[in-house]
Amino acid sequence: MDTSLRRYYPWFAVLGLLVGGLVIVAYYKDQFREWRSWQQVFRKQELARANTPEARAEAARIPVEIHQLVLPGLNRVDRCITCHAAVDDPSYSGFPQPLAYHPNHDQHPFDKFGCTICHQGQGRATTREAAHGQVPHWDQPMLPMKYIESACGKCHLASDIPNAPKLARGRAVFEEVGCIGCHKLNGVGGMIGPELDKVGASHSPEWLMKHFKNPAAVSPGSGMPPIQASDADLDALTLYVLSFTGEEMSAYYVSMKSIPGQLAGRRLFQEKGCIGCHSIGGQGGKVGPALDGVGKRRSPDWIVAHFRNPQAVTPGSVMPQFNFTEQEIRSLTEFLLSVTDTNVVGFMKIPALMTSVARGKTVFQKYGCAGCHGAGGVGGIPNPNAKTAQQVPSLIHVAAGYTKDELKKRILDGQREIPSLDPAKPHPPLYMPAWRGRIAEGELADLVDYLMSLMPKADNLGF
Amino acid sequence: MNDSDPTQVKRRDFMQLAFGWCSALFALGASAVAGARYIVPNVLYEPDQRFKGQKPEDYPEGTTFLSDIRVFLIRKGNSFRAVSAICTHLGCTVNRGADGHGFHCPCHGSQFSDNGEVTSGPAPRPLSWLLVSLSRDGRLIIDASQPVEAKKYLVI
Amino acid sequence: MLQRVWNAFRASRVGRSIFRVGLPASNLERAQVAISSFLLHLQPAKVHKRTLKPSTTFGLGLISLYLFLILGVTGVMLMFYYVPATDAAYQNMKDLEFVVTAGRVLRNMHRWSAHLMVVFVLLHLCRVFYTGAYKPPREFNWVVGVVLLLLTLGLSFTGYLLPWDQLAYWAITVGTNIAGYAPLVGQKLKFLLLGGHMVGESALIRFYTLHVIVLPGVVLMLVALHLWRVRKDGGLARPDEPAFVQQELAPGQLPTSKTYGLMELARGSTPAVGLAPEDVVFTWPNLIFRELLLFLAVVAVVLVLAIFWNAPLEELANRVHPPNPAKAPWYFLGLQELVAYSALWGGVVVPGLLVTALVLLPYLDRRRRGLGVWFARERKVALTLFTVCLIAAVVFTTIGSLFRGPNWSFQVPWKPIPAEEQAFH
Repeated sequence: MDTSLRRYYPWFAVLGLLVGGLVIVAYYKDQFREWRSWQQVFRKQELARANTPEARAEAARIPVEIHQLVLPGLNRVDRCITCHAAVDDPSYSGFPQPLAYHPNHDQHPFDKFGCTICHQGQGRATTREAAHGQVPHWDQPMLPMKYIESACGKCHLASDIPNAPKLARGRAVFEEVGCIGCHKLNGVGGMIGPELDKVGASHSPEWLMKHFKNPAAVSPGSGMPPIQASDADLDALTLYVLSFTGEEMSAYYVSMKSIPGQLAGRRLFQEKGCIGCHSIGGQGGKVGPALDGVGKRRSPDWIVAHFRNPQAVTPGSVMPQFNFTEQEIRSLTEFLLSVTDTNVVGFMKIPALMTSVARGKTVFQKYGCAGCHGAGGVGGIPNPNAKTAQQVPSLIHVAAGYTKDELKKRILDGQREIPSLDPAKPHPPLYMPAWRGRIAEGELADLVDYLMSLMPKADNLGF
Repeated sequence: MNDSDPTQVKRRDFMQLAFGWCSALFALGASAVAGARYIVPNVLYEPDQRFKGQKPEDYPEGTTFLSDIRVFLIRKGNSFRAVSAICTHLGCTVNRGADGHGFHCPCHGSQFSDNGEVTSGPAPRPLSWLLVSLSRDGRLIIDASQPVEAKKYLVI
Repeated sequence: MLQRVWNAFRASRVGRSIFRVGLPASNLERAQVAISSFLLHLQPAKVHKRTLKPSTTFGLGLISLYLFLILGVTGVMLMFYYVPATDAAYQNMKDLEFVVTAGRVLRNMHRWSAHLMVVFVLLHLCRVFYTGAYKPPREFNWVVGVVLLLLTLGLSFTGYLLPWDQLAYWAITVGTNIAGYAPLVGQKLKFLLLGGHMVGESALIRFYTLHVIVLPGVVLMLVALHLWRVRKDGGLARPDEPAFVQQELAPGQLPTSKTYGLMELARGSTPAVGLAPEDVVFTWPNLIFRELLLFLAVVAVVLVLAIFWNAPLEELANRVHPPNPAKAPWYFLGLQELVAYSALWGGVVVPGLLVTALVLLPYLDRRRRGLGVWFARERKVALTLFTVCLIAAVVFTTIGSLFRGPNWSFQVPWKPIPAEEQAFH
């Protein structure tokens, strides 16, 4: 046996070179990073624009490095500004991407909000493809601009922001078609379909759109009826549902919701029943003075003082002291200041002043009855293999078949087992949930009044 | 090459060994350098040294403490200047004097004047004054990496 | 010039205090290099010529050791950036990929070395079996080896969870559930391992602690023992040398041939002088140089894998929606396949029997025939049994890895999964 090492020398040389070469390859592969070239472009641009020696010196000092926005409150780190280096620089407005200026960020400064909370994509990534989220194993590619308003819905109520009409429309469609009749959202709603709390985080707009038009096509075995609405409304609905991301945010962002304002004040005004004693536009109680134009008559300080202690400001007033918090007082005050003579008419729908039928209609919407029984209870929603013509029954004629008490009992008990047309086929997917314990007594009475009122006049005459 | 020629063989052996050792050692050295570079962080999870604040008009007259970068921003009418609140002794955060004048360090008792000069205590240097500038979208920028003289103001 | 500086350094007090022996020039020094150096003394001063022949072992054990060393170095490097917390771990992976210099290549090296180490430890086990190297006096070292195999699997398995992505989360969920099938202790073991009933924050920190200190520490000590025993048990297994016949001596008669006990160099009875010495060579440089070559080759392979193939990183772990199918790490997929048929077989009987059989093997099969020979004819029964088990393991693992699609339905790997089934997760 030849124990001489000499025959291994060539191997040694080859392996040594190979390992050395591989280390070099690894180094170069690591050093070539897309973002570097974009930073160079930005630097060159700054150098070209600099017209004083100081400006040139400053531009030359711009380091080529990764920039990031650390956003612990949003659980995000956004490195988008590494390539989009001029988002906060108005002098770059109209520039081609990635160097374009981002207008309108005064209320959402980048250092607090970053980029991906609205635009989605992968904030930590530093390559174009990965950052824009167009890679496998990333659930949230960048949101197409036509759906961007859904991002507002993560923090704001649709009714709170005037600049998001599509979001508001989406929410209206969501209520009209009665999604929560079957689905739970934030703990409210039916149990027939899956929860919606986080669906926006893991589904694409395309998927949602397809799902609304033909649920079974994208979710095999789904018993959900297709949603009857125009394409524009379905688009708005998609946008609204995309805002259900279930993200947890720190107090800084959540408190945005409770910053005192007109809208919060308006809600409080309703909730606390101010209208029981005061009136606006002639509607409401007569115990206290009418509030029309109160915003013009009284100073903010007066209103605040009045809320703290009515008798101190108006001796002999019978208005109780409500012990509002300071924030509630600010909100209510802001609301009252907005009540001037000109904006009284149609200012608000005050439930206490509506007819029971009108209130019942809002109950019908609130609990998503329309999801199965159709808008206005006209029926026509398919329920395959149900004995009732394979549809969810219409509610138009309930007045003919039920007394009020029977109808109440029917709603409270529900009907878990829907008789099958063909016992051999699968059970009908939709059923009537029991609403006992989930609907308030008053709401139930209003709802029954509304349902009874649906009977067409002509039919009524026949009996 | 002639295998039987001993000097040729010797030379070839030497070349091969030398190649092998050189590249193996190179790889080792390069890996060590790469390893050293690896532990140098490329991004920092701390507030930027170049801190972008609010718009100038959002700051009240007098002294505002910017906790993110530990800086006192001092506004006097239309002029702004910023002084680092990091004590030059051992890095504690200095407080504004109780009477609104001077700065004092709670850790080892250094005292600084309104201009940041040491009046007493162990601090070896005055507090650093930092460059205040205006970003293109109209917000204040305080650059903790760029010390300036105490008399330098940003005038809006 | 350099030579002179080096010589001066070697001659100085400091130089002499560090290096006990320089580059050896004489046979005495060659022996001393191996004996007196801390790292090299795990090997004898002289080794049998068979040790140098590649086909004796194919260097499988050594390759495993090298991979372990690479894993140690890259692992410590990764610890500089890794935070074992559910809300940070996955983000750290992204940072390694996108911002840390050489971060991605280091993670790739660690990942691929880990897989390779499992493969090579298994191959090493096969080699030792097929050459009958577990036979006396090496029984105990075989048992140490089996324990090292289990520790290797444990290291790989605990490391699998750390990236905290879907792949990691569900592989560990499935893997620990297989462990849960063990009778009596299964559920308790699982609870203890996870620090709860499901994979979560406490599981992550437990797996991390096991992965970075407990298991590597034990492995390191056992590897030292394993190597030391190789040396003390007489080097690599080789066929018995021609029998040395002890002369029958009449009373009062002196032996005609002299024997030496070669202290520390060989175990057992005294080899005869003049019979074997030409079969051994100095470890330095013959073995050391070959070991160096092998090391370079291993590093080269790992580097190629790490440069051109990225370690997988899926979506952030989601404890509600498993990927379909959710698979354990590949080396447990044979078991997962069995569990799919029968929990008892896959979770209890097969793994239990396998480990027991492996541990007991050298104590059951004690004949020294076939020692050190590949596929010795005298060992037909043992070879057949082992080979059947091996093939079964390979077949089940292959089915589990490549032929199982959504809902664990049979699936040919070359046919893509329909898009609808991937869409909803």
